[in-house]
Amino acid sequence: MKKQRFWPIMMILLGAIYFLLPLFATFEFSLRERRGEYSFDSYNYVLSDPQFRDSFVYSVALALATIVVSLILIVPTAFWVHLKLPQLRPVIEFITLLPFVIPPIVLVFGLIRIYSRPPIVLVSTPALLVAGYVVLSFPYMYRAVDTGLRAIDVRSLTEAAQSLGASWLTILFRVIFPNLRVSLLNGAFLTFAIVLGEFTMATMLNWPTFGPYLALIGQNRAYEPAALAIISFGLTWICIGLIQLLSRGSQEQGQLAGTR
Amino acid sequence: MLKRKASHLRMTLVLTAILTLVLSACGDNTATPVPATPAAATTAAKSSVAATTTAGNLDQLIAAAKQEGSLTTIALPHDWCGYGDLITNFKQKYGLQVTELNPDGSSGDEIEAIKANTQNKGPQAPDVIDVGLAFGPQAKAANLIQPYKVSTWATIPDSAKDAEGYWYGDYYGVMAMSVNTDVVKNAPAEWADLLKPEYKGKVALSGDPRTAAQAIAGVYAVALAQGGSLDNAQAGIDFFASLNKAGNFVPVIAKGATLASGETPIVLGWDYNALAAKDSLKGNPPISVVVPTKGVLAGVYVQAISAYAPHPNAAKLWMEYLYSDAGQLGWLKGYCHPIRYNDLASRNAIPADVAAKLPPAANYATAQFPTLDQYSKATALITKSWDSTVGANVK
Amino acid sequence: MVDKVLEKNVKQPAARPRKRKVRLEWLGVVPFLTFALLFLILPSFNLLIGSFQDETGNFTLANIGNLFQPFILNSYWLSIQVSAVTALGGVIFGFGLAYASIRGGLPSWVRGALMTFSGVASNFAGIPLAFAFIATLGRTGFITVLLKNMLGVNLYDTGFSLYTFWGLSLTYMYFQFPLMVLIIAPAIDGLKSQWREAAENLGATSFQYWRYVALPILGPALLGAGVLLFGNAFGAYATAFALTGGTLNLVPIQIGAQIRGDVLHNPNLGYALAMGMVVIMAVSIGISMLLQRRTARWIQ
Repeated sequence: MKKQRFWPIMMILLGAIYFLLPLFATFEFSLRERRGEYSFDSYNYVLSDPQFRDSFVYSVALALATIVVSLILIVPTAFWVHLKLPQLRPVIEFITLLPFVIPPIVLVFGLIRIYSRPPIVLVSTPALLVAGYVVLSFPYMYRAVDTGLRAIDVRSLTEAAQSLGASWLTILFRVIFPNLRVSLLNGAFLTFAIVLGEFTMATMLNWPTFGPYLALIGQNRAYEPAALAIISFGLTWICIGLIQLLSRGSQEQGQLAGTR
Repeated sequence: MLKRKASHLRMTLVLTAILTLVLSACGDNTATPVPATPAAATTAAKSSVAATTTAGNLDQLIAAAKQEGSLTTIALPHDWCGYGDLITNFKQKYGLQVTELNPDGSSGDEIEAIKANTQNKGPQAPDVIDVGLAFGPQAKAANLIQPYKVSTWATIPDSAKDAEGYWYGDYYGVMAMSVNTDVVKNAPAEWADLLKPEYKGKVALSGDPRTAAQAIAGVYAVALAQGGSLDNAQAGIDFFASLNKAGNFVPVIAKGATLASGETPIVLGWDYNALAAKDSLKGNPPISVVVPTKGVLAGVYVQAISAYAPHPNAAKLWMEYLYSDAGQLGWLKGYCHPIRYNDLASRNAIPADVAAKLPPAANYATAQFPTLDQYSKATALITKSWDSTVGANVK
Repeated sequence: MVDKVLEKNVKQPAARPRKRKVRLEWLGVVPFLTFALLFLILPSFNLLIGSFQDETGNFTLANIGNLFQPFILNSYWLSIQVSAVTALGGVIFGFGLAYASIRGGLPSWVRGALMTFSGVASNFAGIPLAFAFIATLGRTGFITVLLKNMLGVNLYDTGFSLYTFWGLSLTYMYFQFPLMVLIIAPAIDGLKSQWREAAENLGATSFQYWRYVALPILGPALLGAGVLLFGNAFGAYATAFALTGGTLNLVPIQIGAQIRGDVLHNPNLGYALAMGMVVIMAVSIGISMLLQRRTARWIQ
């Protein structure tokens, strides 16, 4: 038994070393604000800045909105393609991968050009930014949901539910969603992190999010950006942990066809 | 059953919280009033060259600007040339709001922002731009800027402004070195010193010469000291090639953090940025700013008003402010030499304490100012040759 | 799952759907396609148009022609290499990490911690990431200094440098591993432990289990994740720029120079470069689809 756990432990240990060392180096540098001794001066500077709290909270709100819209858009689509329209899969995959190769600066300027004049003027609401973020989340959300769909027997589940008289909406929300819990959660994590760190769109559309704040601090200051990196890493981790805790409540509803 | 209801309730609460947060934050952005001046005013301004503003006109301008209520700037970091204080003072003096877009932006970003926002009268559209010299004529040719001659127009050197008033030089600095004296005990004095073996793995630029004017100027300045001239920057390329081959050049884009950590202890950049970085690091670590005596290259940036500015009067007022003595001194406090420096100096308008903080005037006596043509030629050469000089395939 | 895979080889009696039914089925993807059209395709359209225009707006093929300069072809090749290497590394080690935490018999908090950490780390990129690695493995980095003080080894004398292809790839892994972990986790969950037991009962070795059962089933998921990681690295700009300046000639850096810079500013060439990237992404999807069909044949 112990021998079987050797490789997993090694793997996790190596992973931990790889991930934690650079964070440690950043942390150590952030403590050097005061000459000759370690201090938390750079942290005080950041945490006492009201703009820090405001922009962080604002970004969290946008991130949650993005997650909701993205889920509503992607999950039914992926489900439908999986079940009924597999020939569309390459097309949908291509579309969802486009945000990787279209430079965000081009995308945001395109959004401004189109939605700053009648008939649809969206440029004065944060909805346009959320739409942009939903687009950025496409590759991650779709891939997460698609992987999850492959792992469960979608066809049988759907047929079983249909034979019990369930409507499509019921199938989606009470059969598919619960079985995709892990995928949806992971997709949500990825989206959350993206929105929190995003800079280009927020700054050109002029919304007070966390990304532009990070960039502002990063100019010409040496130690505060490192402190900020550590703080935002920690805070984001807490937020994601909270999302995971919140979702655990719904797990108790049980799954209709356990795959575990 | 109960658990399901509980989780539904939780989900509803969460969604309500999100909506509330988003909607409440919505309010903040729409607080900026939409300007009363319709698009017609902008097109009118485009076709006519505004006459020099007299004192009476200035009052009218202030009134018109106040009606517009706000100004939108772009790519103005607070630590660059003292813009932080300039913007604060402008807000206080005239009671206008200032929307600051994309502080980290480059000249290219500013031009693209104007192009994208031609139909947009909201706060995403920049009113004024501050760009590298080469971008002035480029923007004029693309019909992106409108002409305006400030009241102090006559005191701006002819070589630094467009005759029709579309763009005008704002400040200049010279190429210098920031040296982290904790790591580099013996600071270099001239560009040629950088090749010394004691500086192995220590020399960096603050940008990529293909994207940043500041980085190009670094190579160009070295050329002047190494036998090149304003017309021929090849010597600079050759020098960096040797620097790279000797292992002295570090390819990292230098920032405050890398200068302080010692990863890039010698950084080539504009003197005003070097001095501002020195201030912000407050001696931790101590920075020495070195302006060499050979190869002193001056770089000029230019101001312009967007042809699609949603707040054209506020924009003009901003220009009047920047080109007044107070504005010019504001730049000087940020260690940038304002374009009207000679005029100010001749009238003894520079306070002694401000003058004391600058590098010695002697350094600037030998400064060379490239013309637009020379600059374009050097730019073309450096950007083309950069990859074969320090590219990863070399070394 | 196995049943489903086997099912693919048995041709289902084609009950040709009536034309009206097919059209109704397409309604299911309309919301997504509309959203994508409105907020992704239309705004990016000037990317396509702009790549065929010159600075004054006239039609030209010069931008496309310029793409075939050796310098630019090299940059595409370099970008492909970096992306492929980090995608491969990310798939292998990300899978290993995920599998270890899910099936490795470790305490359950390890999985939760890994998943949430991966959520954060997946987007830890750009200047903070570059600086974190500089502070660790740069010339004055903490590991470099440690090695020098404790073991007398000068890392940079051995020829290692963070500011190279391999240094950048190592840095990219920081967001590639977590991405893989998060994407592949549900697929690993889907590997029923009964299958492993059944295989062992039949006398299969670990290798045979993986070769004939687990990997074929995971095949499509692994390939899909691989393409995702490839795209993720392919489009990455901020990290590469912050770490290596312009010395590593990657396509996003070229694009940045053309569209955003202070100096070059030929946005139309930048658009053409981006279109080239779009084409390469399409090709990579095509290749992965081909490979997916191949791996399905492994079952036989």
